[in-house]
Amino acid sequence: MRLRMFATAVLVVALAIAAAAATGTSQASVDRGQADALTVWLMGDAQANWPEAVSAATQTFKSQHPGVDVNVQYQSWGDYKTKFEATLSAGSGPDVIEFGNTDVPKYSAAGALAPLDRSSFPNSGTWLSGLTKAGSYNGKLYAVPYYAGARGVIYRTDQYQAAGISKTPKTLAEFNAANAKLMAKFGGSKNPNYSAVYFPGRYWYAAMSFVYDYGGQIAKTRGGKWVGTLNEPAALSGLTAWRNVARSYSRANKTGDEAHPQQALVFAKGSVGAFVGNGWEWPYALDPKVGNPALAGKIGAYPMPSHTPGKYMPTFLGGSNLGVPVTSKQKAFAADWIAAFTNTQNMTRMASSGGVIPNTTSLARINAAKPTLAPFADAAKYSWFVPSTPNWANVESANVLQSMLSGILRNPSKTKELATTASERITEILNAR
Amino acid sequence: MATPYVLLLPALAVIVAVLGYPLYRLVTLSFQEYGLPELIAHKGRWIGLDNYTEILGDGLFWTVLGRTVAFTAVTVGLTMVFGTLIALLLARLGTFMRLLITTGLVLVWSMPPVVSVNIWSWMVDYEFGVLNWSLTQLGLDHFAHHDWFVNPIEGFAVITAIVVWGAIPFVAITIFAGLTQVSAEMVEAAEIDGAGSFRIFRDITLPILKPIFVILASLSVIWNFQVFSQIWIIRNARPEDHYFLLSIYSFVESFNTSRYGLGSAIALVMVMAMLGVTFVYIRQMVRIGEIE
Repeated sequence: MRLRMFATAVLVVALAIAAAAATGTSQASVDRGQADALTVWLMGDAQANWPEAVSAATQTFKSQHPGVDVNVQYQSWGDYKTKFEATLSAGSGPDVIEFGNTDVPKYSAAGALAPLDRSSFPNSGTWLSGLTKAGSYNGKLYAVPYYAGARGVIYRTDQYQAAGISKTPKTLAEFNAANAKLMAKFGGSKNPNYSAVYFPGRYWYAAMSFVYDYGGQIAKTRGGKWVGTLNEPAALSGLTAWRNVARSYSRANKTGDEAHPQQALVFAKGSVGAFVGNGWEWPYALDPKVGNPALAGKIGAYPMPSHTPGKYMPTFLGGSNLGVPVTSKQKAFAADWIAAFTNTQNMTRMASSGGVIPNTTSLARINAAKPTLAPFADAAKYSWFVPSTPNWANVESANVLQSMLSGILRNPSKTKELATTASERITEILNAR
Repeated sequence: MATPYVLLLPALAVIVAVLGYPLYRLVTLSFQEYGLPELIAHKGRWIGLDNYTEILGDGLFWTVLGRTVAFTAVTVGLTMVFGTLIALLLARLGTFMRLLITTGLVLVWSMPPVVSVNIWSWMVDYEFGVLNWSLTQLGLDHFAHHDWFVNPIEGFAVITAIVVWGAIPFVAITIFAGLTQVSAEMVEAAEIDGAGSFRIFRDITLPILKPIFVILASLSVIWNFQVFSQIWIIRNARPEDHYFLLSIYSFVESFNTSRYGLGSAIALVMVMAMLGVTFVYIRQMVRIGEIE
């Protein structure tokens, strides 16, 4: 009998743990660091692409504040928001944190970030307007522009030549014709895995560019309320154009995204003619550790052409901002570190070796002068951005666009229904409290 | 007279501190609007039953609940069947093979799910996965670039395999330990009377080990009802709606949109559902105790 009572007790405890664990799945443990140390959360991109800028910033900071240690912790895009929110509830966390520019407004609006003094940061007069707007709320600056990225078509020059494509496409129709030639030359029965353009189903940054190119939008304000508009005719034409490209010329995973596996690495394996990528993905494809250095000299890039002759397809203006959480006990130190990290010297490093667009227009010449960076800087002339409301981050987190896109590729005949469902969900999320 | 209760106190205090307080917080949160502003202010806003009415009125919740129950039934069933078969096998093997298999089981058991699921995820990868490669090598050409997650049935088959694979060791080893309790004399007597091995299992082993089976099944139900990381990792932290189980639904609806009050309410509803499922077992177990 005792065994049974014990067993019952075990079950009851297991249930109680289940209840407690159900909400605590991601309560991340946070390294508080020492009292006289500054904790900085950056994304892994900094570690991979401009580590020297990070160490230079820390050095500058330490020469200003001897005795204060800097502890840089690299985070991943997948879970940094959840981790950050756990630190907010604990009342202690990082002193500096990097946000994706689409995520910042949510936190500035909620009061999670401390206001900053714009004039105390280098180049603040010439900051990129898109990133400055993302980092501001109600006229105050909450997050300093860090860097931006624009996407272009990164392609294999040798394959284009072999397929008889002498000039890079200038319109979407030419782009499709080029892809058809590539598929005929390299794909089909010769190599069923060949993609003329590698386009994973859930790559929403690139897919939404088609929507904006055809004059559509993800959402609009109407009478003071947000309305999802992906099911309006212009947006549907964009989705149809995208569907045609992704279904006809890509053999990429319909339910996959651009980062699993990294599309530059799939490109490096050889069975891909081109992909839509950021400037830094080009050197990544050549990385001797993970990519294929033999492709050096066989890669080029051009801005994604529009369906309207003479224009480029608008590219998503992605990027990051750096903020100081309200929970930080060392806000002045934190601002000093950000200032050191975003000075002209470090921005030059990020642009020239990292391949990103620096936070200030005064350095635009670095990108324009380098053949590996110029196409992306050029592409940024036409850009789009997500609806500017603090609730937008929740649309991303809820995977609304990704689910719609992979759904369309799987059931092309249901494009309109899926776009309507997604629009309704977007309306609901954007208008929530 | 009071001594036993005094002696119980330290243990009770620990249980209350470790489980009681989080549970109390969970229950109060579930009646509050608790979003990002409340998180920063450390103070929620009382909204009564609104969170619960929102969940119970959400069509997706009911779909997900049904899916979770079905998923739990299938994975627990498979785990129990394979676990028992492996335990019976272990009992018949020589020392060396038994040691080998037990080692394998313990290795599977001790591997953190995050590690094992990532490895599984590589194996079923669309672009570079060894599974597609092997099937292609065997001449099944349509498996080149096969996407295991387009069709949710196939996707859940992969996920079920991962969950069952990870759950078998505990069940197999526990049942194997229990098998040593089945007296050899009784089995021998049954054999002399002409009973086959299935008959012996059904009429001798099963009744003797019933409490063990009941507790294993109940624990498995509780664990598999909350499966999270397997699906989360293999869908790259962005599962589609049709891969939602209750745990994922709860996470997406609360953490991903910073609505902690709603998330707590979902968690409590989930525990209620789980209690419903395990209630039968618990009652039976208490009843076995009473008869003895």
